[in-house]
Amino acid sequence: MESKALKPILAVYVAAFILFLYGPFIVLGILSFQQGPEGGPQFPIIDWSTYWYRHLFGLTPPSRIAPLPVGEALLRSLTLAFMTMVTATVLGVMAAQAFRRRFRGAGIVFYLIVLGMMVPGVLTGLGTSLLANNVVGVERHWWTTAFVAHVVYTFPFAFLVMLAILNRFDGSVEEAAWSLGVSPARTFRKVTFPLIFPGVLSAMLFAFTLSFDEFPRTLFASGRDQTLPLAIYGTFSVEIHPNIFAFGVMTTLFSFSLLAVYGILMGLSVRRAKKIAMQEDIA
Amino acid sequence: MVQSESIFRLDGVTRRFGALTALDDITFEAPQNEYISLLGPSGAGKTSLLRVIAGFESPDVGRIHFLGRDITDLPAHKRGIGFVFQNFALFPHLTVFENIAFGLRNGIDDIADAQIGDRVREMVDLVGLSGLEDRVPDQISGGQKQRVALARTLVMQPKLVLLDEPLGALDANLRGRMQTELRQIRERLNVTFLHVTGSETEALAMGDTVAVLDRGRIIQSGTPEQIHDTPSSSDVALFLNRFNLFDGKLSADAFHGPFGPVPAANVCQNPTDIYAIRYDRTKAFRKGDTLPGPALPARFLASEYLGSSVISFFETADHKQVEVDHHLSFGDPDNYKVGEEYVLSWDPRHAIVFGQEAAA
Amino acid sequence: MSIAAPSTQRNTFTGWLLAPGVFWMILFLVAPIMMIVYVSFWTQTTFAINSTLTLDSWKNFFSSEAYVGALWTTLRLWLIVLALTFIIGYPAALFVGLLVKSKTVSTILLVLCVIPFWTSFLIRVLAWRPMLGKEGAINIILQKLGLIDSPIEVLLFSELSVIIGMTQIYVVFMVGPIAFMLGRIDRNIIEAARDLGAGFGRIFWKIIFPLSLPGVVVGAIFVSVMVLGEFATSGALSGRKVNLLGNIIVTQVGSLKWAMASVVGVILTILLGIVVAGFLRIVDLKSEL
Repeated sequence: MESKALKPILAVYVAAFILFLYGPFIVLGILSFQQGPEGGPQFPIIDWSTYWYRHLFGLTPPSRIAPLPVGEALLRSLTLAFMTMVTATVLGVMAAQAFRRRFRGAGIVFYLIVLGMMVPGVLTGLGTSLLANNVVGVERHWWTTAFVAHVVYTFPFAFLVMLAILNRFDGSVEEAAWSLGVSPARTFRKVTFPLIFPGVLSAMLFAFTLSFDEFPRTLFASGRDQTLPLAIYGTFSVEIHPNIFAFGVMTTLFSFSLLAVYGILMGLSVRRAKKIAMQEDIA
Repeated sequence: MVQSESIFRLDGVTRRFGALTALDDITFEAPQNEYISLLGPSGAGKTSLLRVIAGFESPDVGRIHFLGRDITDLPAHKRGIGFVFQNFALFPHLTVFENIAFGLRNGIDDIADAQIGDRVREMVDLVGLSGLEDRVPDQISGGQKQRVALARTLVMQPKLVLLDEPLGALDANLRGRMQTELRQIRERLNVTFLHVTGSETEALAMGDTVAVLDRGRIIQSGTPEQIHDTPSSSDVALFLNRFNLFDGKLSADAFHGPFGPVPAANVCQNPTDIYAIRYDRTKAFRKGDTLPGPALPARFLASEYLGSSVISFFETADHKQVEVDHHLSFGDPDNYKVGEEYVLSWDPRHAIVFGQEAAA
Repeated sequence: MSIAAPSTQRNTFTGWLLAPGVFWMILFLVAPIMMIVYVSFWTQTTFAINSTLTLDSWKNFFSSEAYVGALWTTLRLWLIVLALTFIIGYPAALFVGLLVKSKTVSTILLVLCVIPFWTSFLIRVLAWRPMLGKEGAINIILQKLGLIDSPIEVLLFSELSVIIGMTQIYVVFMVGPIAFMLGRIDRNIIEAARDLGAGFGRIFWKIIFPLSLPGVVVGAIFVSVMVLGEFATSGALSGRKVNLLGNIIVTQVGSLKWAMASVVGVILTILLGIVVAGFLRIVDLKSEL
């Protein structure tokens, strides 16, 4: 029967599909171990070496290939991502909290917020720099105009994550706290926030990674000083060397370690509850 | 109206949700230091009433007074009214001890740690939670959660505690035990409990005062005996689930029911003509026995043994089910045969007649 | 002390919670887009612009073959990439969302698809260069297999390489929503149809595909929005041979031609509006999700 044959065929297809997704990156990873400094960004591998990784950290003798200008850019990108993460998460939590009550114009506000992730970066970037340049008359910087555009982009993600979390949140614990004479502000701090914290963590992860990797908005809105994606983009036009591949592998590892930290933080709260349970069983 | 004797007073409280009127012009005064049960079918507005008193929702119209003070516009956390939720609403991230200490720690007053510890331990002993202080809510049973919810509220020493179907989430066995405990705890602490329930047995067993709520209105309130013996309307009689109710026609001191015309002495005003006789006043006789009153032929269906009494179910010719409650202290019940015809009768003086035209 | 009724109090509170986010979006999203529309009518001189209103930039756009060509290139690439992401993505989604019985395997496969997103977008684009180049992996493999004698040169720095790159980067946005919708299909319906003797083809076209349509629409909206606003992939993989509307904006801003950049921005915005509204007409998402 057709459907009997379909499943194995599709299984092979999905394997090929995943290879398609990972293929370029595997090639890039292999080529990052190209011999240096003579080896180019293509096959064949002349000799395996970690030259380009050492080159990245400035541990190789000077050669005609300039080291990637990533040091300061990395610091800027981390700072920017952190600022964006905090602002977007705070805005996201506040807006999602407001959406727990029905109010007039909720539909419009919802679409206004979600628009921020739908409008392409070229447009937000262009508009923001037009506004800064020609109306407000301020200089563009990564920590002013680019920051603002990053929040426009990441706030909707944080908002949607928090909305999903708060939809499942049982409000009676908050009412219980009020009936015990605890003010709404303190109730939020002592009850609501600890309970929605896993969601807040997810919103923060989203905002941080999106901002850290943000490119089109930053290109228009960040002015002189480059962030990391801009530094990478700068190398596109000139001749590329395997050092950029080594750098790609490094940033990916960094992303995964971020993901791991998130996983550990998430697991910790679950584990703590389980630990108490285990102690109880022993006792 | 003597204000000092009432704990809270509702003046024409109305609450609407869109087209639905949850509370319809409720005026009610609750006595101090009592166990008040609020009985009503689901959808009667019981929970809405509690939430309005607690301050989680505000009435569209009407005022709420608490201890002689108008609290209608006061937010929930400034009212000093305790609330016990049906699902307990414990703080899942805090231990039993911290759940109980929560209000003391985070309230407006600064209370020393030592004093908090003392008060929490006292409360833990009172509700019988000793040894469980360090557990989190996920690790305790339903009955224990109930006690934590209660202790957490009582430790704040409120003058009024609202309980929203507090026994609804417990199994039958535990429910009975908690009923007695709740009453004892209340008496020890001299607070007023307003206990909302859909169970008539619970309402009558626990309340010093019982109020019956239907379609957003309080249709009767009084002592359990008053409610039980003299329901003021056929609706109340229906909720009590202790009366056989017969449709019929009331005319000139006589009620014409499926059992023929019966003299009707005391008639209560009611939107429809209904004849009510309590299950335990209804008796079954064999054909030919002398009857104390009207005769209603009925077929025996089944009986249910309830420990202290036996309930027998009969069916009349027009397929209406009639219940006969025989208390075992009056001796063993007769053995009825399934499908056999019997005659049901009662002393007409025990009947309550509801009618559109109340006798003058 | 006067105290507002709790309901009004809470309304004000809701207002305060929303105000920062709403103001942020109005100031930094709505206002900038309005600004693009406004500036597209400004007067452009060689090194500056002034706010004298004129249609010059608009006329320039439509009279320039290069600019109008970019519009057609954008539309062509968008349609090709959209079709490819759908054709390549749907079977994968069908397997992940419907055919895999175990929830765990299905989740693992989805996570596998998402993992590449934790690599920088630009690195992912760049990774295609050693893959497609004249001495790239594909050419080497094909030559080793004896399928070709000399390397295929059109693989890199051509429209083809841009299409391949975009398809790979965006196909996951098509797979996700479709797999989600397929995962929600009640398997009993399919079993019932099979019991009634319907073949797989018939079941697919009569049941599975219609039920997955909202996912296709959501995926298509994601892919369209991203492809239409693209400029980095075309910039990095076409060797400046493929110019999309996005590339025009970048170069115009680079040479301080703000008015022309704005004209292209407005055209892009209109294009996006039409495309998204068009997709939303196919399926009423509110009732489906």
